[in-house]
Amino acid sequence: MSDEPTETADAAEDTGTVVERAERQLPSWERVRESELFVVAATTVAVALFPWLFARAPVVSGVLQGYQDLATLILIWGIFAMGFNLLLGYTGLLSFGHAAFWGGAAYAAGVFSANVSSSPILVILAGTAFAALSAWVLGFVSLRRGGIYFAILTLAFGQMAYYMALSPLAGITGGENGFTGVELGKLFGVFELRYPVPGLDWLVGTWKYVLVGGIAVLCVAAANRILHSPYGMVFRAIRENEQRAEFVGLNVWRYKLMAFVISGTFAGIAGSLFTIYSAYVPLSSFYWTTSGEVVIMAVLGGVGSLFGPIVGAGVYLYVENIVSGVQQLTLPFTGPAEYLTLVEEPVVILDGFGAYWHLILGLVFVAVVVLFPRGIWGLFEDVGSALRRLGGGR
Amino acid sequence: MARGENIDVSRRDVVKMAGASGLVGLSGVAGSASAQENPPIGNFPIQGNPTFGFTVPQSGPYSSEGQDELRAYRLAVEHLNNGGGWVDNWSDLTGNGVLGNQVEFVSGDTATDADTARQTARRMIQRDRAIMLSGGSSSAVAIAIQELCQREKVQYMCCLTHSNDTTGKSCVRYSFREMFNAYMSAQALVPPVTQEYGNDNNFYQLYADYTWGQTVQSSMSRFFGEAGWSELNSVATPLGTKDFSSYLSQVPRDRTDVLFLNHYGLDGANSLSQARDMGLDQDMEIIVPLYNRPMAQAAGGAIEGVFGTVAWDSQIDNPPSNQFTSAFNEKYSRVPSGPAQLAYAQTLQYAAAVERAGTFYPPEVIRQLEGYNYNNIGMGEETMRACDHQAQRAVPVVKGLPEGEQQQGQFFEIVNVTPRSKLGYACDEGPAGECELGPYE
Amino acid sequence: MSVLAEVVTVALNGLQQGAIYVLVAIGLSIILGTLKFVNFAHGALYLIGTYAGLLITLEINVTDGKLADWGYTPIGLEWGFLPALVIVPSVVFAVGLLMERFVARPFYDRPDTDQILLTFGLAIVVQEVFKILFGGQSYNFARPGWASGQVDLPIVGTFPEWRLYIIGITAAVVVLVYGLIEYTDFGLVVRAGTRDAEMVELLGIKLSRPYLMVFGVGAALAGVAGVVGGPLYAVNPNIGTEILVPSFLVVVIGGVGSITGAVLGGILIGETLAILVAVAPQWSQVGIYVLAAIVLLARPQGLLGVEEVTP
Repeated sequence: MSDEPTETADAAEDTGTVVERAERQLPSWERVRESELFVVAATTVAVALFPWLFARAPVVSGVLQGYQDLATLILIWGIFAMGFNLLLGYTGLLSFGHAAFWGGAAYAAGVFSANVSSSPILVILAGTAFAALSAWVLGFVSLRRGGIYFAILTLAFGQMAYYMALSPLAGITGGENGFTGVELGKLFGVFELRYPVPGLDWLVGTWKYVLVGGIAVLCVAAANRILHSPYGMVFRAIRENEQRAEFVGLNVWRYKLMAFVISGTFAGIAGSLFTIYSAYVPLSSFYWTTSGEVVIMAVLGGVGSLFGPIVGAGVYLYVENIVSGVQQLTLPFTGPAEYLTLVEEPVVILDGFGAYWHLILGLVFVAVVVLFPRGIWGLFEDVGSALRRLGGGR
Repeated sequence: MARGENIDVSRRDVVKMAGASGLVGLSGVAGSASAQENPPIGNFPIQGNPTFGFTVPQSGPYSSEGQDELRAYRLAVEHLNNGGGWVDNWSDLTGNGVLGNQVEFVSGDTATDADTARQTARRMIQRDRAIMLSGGSSSAVAIAIQELCQREKVQYMCCLTHSNDTTGKSCVRYSFREMFNAYMSAQALVPPVTQEYGNDNNFYQLYADYTWGQTVQSSMSRFFGEAGWSELNSVATPLGTKDFSSYLSQVPRDRTDVLFLNHYGLDGANSLSQARDMGLDQDMEIIVPLYNRPMAQAAGGAIEGVFGTVAWDSQIDNPPSNQFTSAFNEKYSRVPSGPAQLAYAQTLQYAAAVERAGTFYPPEVIRQLEGYNYNNIGMGEETMRACDHQAQRAVPVVKGLPEGEQQQGQFFEIVNVTPRSKLGYACDEGPAGECELGPYE
Repeated sequence: MSVLAEVVTVALNGLQQGAIYVLVAIGLSIILGTLKFVNFAHGALYLIGTYAGLLITLEINVTDGKLADWGYTPIGLEWGFLPALVIVPSVVFAVGLLMERFVARPFYDRPDTDQILLTFGLAIVVQEVFKILFGGQSYNFARPGWASGQVDLPIVGTFPEWRLYIIGITAAVVVLVYGLIEYTDFGLVVRAGTRDAEMVELLGIKLSRPYLMVFGVGAALAGVAGVVGGPLYAVNPNIGTEILVPSFLVVVIGGVGSITGAVLGGILIGETLAILVAVAPQWSQVGIYVLAAIVLLARPQGLLGVEEVTP
């Protein structure tokens, strides 16, 4: 599946060969790849190209069957999964309650937009602040326990939020019907979010995507910096051996709380963006299946890497939204609806294919957990380094 | 219009060759001939053949209902394109597509979840450029989709949604509902129920604690209160409750004559079976406001003799109903369910309105549907009211069959089809009083 | 209804609702306590048990799933309830053995995060397979005729007979399992393994066989729960995941590895639900999560847990 992050890999590959030709003078490819500037630049390019490739490029989009809004949604969930992974991938804490932050931010953003200000930036800030605060409180409580207890505690808090929103707080949240009163103003008071960007609409589409994409790049930059800061080192040390980290005098609990809050903040950014994206907050954003989805995304894409979870989000949403709509699985290039038709009569492999999407994801997920613990991104990296070795590099 | 279509078709090919769609396609269309008649709005003007989008539950507890809806949608599209079924009798429809265009369709899953449903609807609107959406098996889903449709200016023909809110405080200009609502269910139940159980009863209600359940509860209180019954108590049960035994054990057996279980679908099946378990049916009569097939299937023998309403039933004997039943049965060898009839009817209603309007331009089509009088779907004389987009129609009241008499696709006996004259409410009262439809454009 | 009658009714309702959780949670708890294996697919075993019970007891009409496409409708043996009560646990026991051998065993040395992920994925797969085979629709698992009536209890008045059977069967099963763990050699090994597996192995006792048995017994209990609990609610592919979350709460409330803890936890959750329904229904669902959080924070090892299993 060649969606956005594959593109990053390709881009990296191209740059890689260039760098290697001038190997002697310049720092090694690994160093360049690690540098913050490169990460941000590559992400920006990938984010800018993604909707075009996905929804509008010749051939590619015809094969992918993508569309603009799904590209936006993938970035939003990508931020969520990346933030989630800062916790799971780097400190080893598995939370089953991140829906509380995603949903909490989404509702906070929605309520804020309806009652205080409809400025998108302020709405995002409000939602994110709410999520960060609740992450701090829940983290403070949940992190007294580890492993399975931590997972169950976070799950319990998430479900608590769900049932609170469903019934006792239905006056604010709209209960089962979700929150429908979202009001959205213009970005910076100038740009209407749903309008195409003049001159660049073929590339990025709407202002909404520009907003989401811009924040996604900022999030990647922030996550990258955190991971390369002393904090990141400590997180990894905790994952490797918590006791050892404790012995060298680190306050492990404080660092865990920090990781939890950071992770919840990312979830909050994503949740607020979701409110802006859909102009609606569904009740299910609090349900534990939302937490489950982000777990699946992170693991599919590859925990322990920065970009892996974004790939995972892309794959998950692609299967959920595009593959699930496929009525018949046919051989490529057969049938009239294909972009390139070789045979007019479709060759049907499986009828009612779309209904199997959940099963397919489940099987792939199990396969990844058992066979590729580093996920899809890990596969990319392995293939990439194998190729470089073939090409004569290190 | 014919000229316009030719231009559209060729443009579509151009667009396809360029590999572009979506925004580029839209901006390219701006100067076309058809656009000069009506400005572009939503997915109008259509490129090539019109596409309908059907959003039905394909996973989750109501997937069987969704599949039956989808069968009916396929049938509707087939009849629109090639004739057959009601299309042969409706003077507006030709059996040669809509406005001479062959209709295409896409389908997607709602999972009976508002979020999934909206994502599916977005895909249909944006990628497949659907000109009309239809579907839904719950009110939360219908409300979520119709709100999106109003924003995107794409028409939505509700399928199964029973909440007052759909055409009440959450109503929108771009959505129309053939299905009746909780308010009308209560009104419809009063005549046959009071006739059977008498005019002087104590009743007790359990209701699902969300908008649908609350609207049912208040409607039952009001109309059975007006009929002279006295309410002992109404107790809310939170959504997600599976075990109602604690609630049911609080029902005073000695004083209650009739128990209303205002739960939908599987919750209804659970509460009804559990009420039977406790032997409540021996001390009092039980009523459920709205039946559907998944519920009847899951409740089994517990529905025996229990009053309720249904969207439609194949036993209703009039020409349109029989015609639909036989066409459906011929094609799928199954008895169609109530939602299937709704799905079929709403698709054809939209197509007929387009034919009358002579264009797919949504504001025109909407005006054709608003205030339209018809008598062609087997529910008597009807009006699609302009003030709230709620069909004013008859409501079938049924009783559940004993387990031994239940067959595949047949779970109820028709007790009464309460006519339109005994139902409904004015535009300034009840749910309609809270409805503000929003703009055409 | 007098106050006394009301209190007793609420207590009885709570007991009955807790009973199913107890059955599911005991298996979950001893597997977690003894094998240190977190099984998010335990709900799938309950699902398998319920469908197996349904098919052995009754004949059902499949209308949507693949089984219907293949012509297997109506399907079911119609042998009645008692055979199901014996056969189903055996079937699920066998499923449990397979699961231990092929799913759990390769993951014993992996972090519990990996175990959760694996079994979480497995649970999705099982649920989807059932959905594809039987369709997403719900089936009516009718109670056996001899237990579908009501009995007149002192104080309470009329009470559904089936729910009394559930309490009775659960009590019997709990006593059986308790005896098995407390008074047999097998139980001794299991208990010792729970405390310190390494030491037991050093003493020359091979633990793989008892481990296999523990998993099987835990699974069989979920099977029993499926048969006795199935008739309470509509049967559909989602029931496995629905029961998993409360069952895990029961385990952590009661204390991992403790059978009496699971019983206590199950009753506590059942009673909390029943009491809140009577007092403040809006808060009934929130209540059990609040209870779990409070217990976990105040007494991290659970009410009857000995000490923390893993930090």
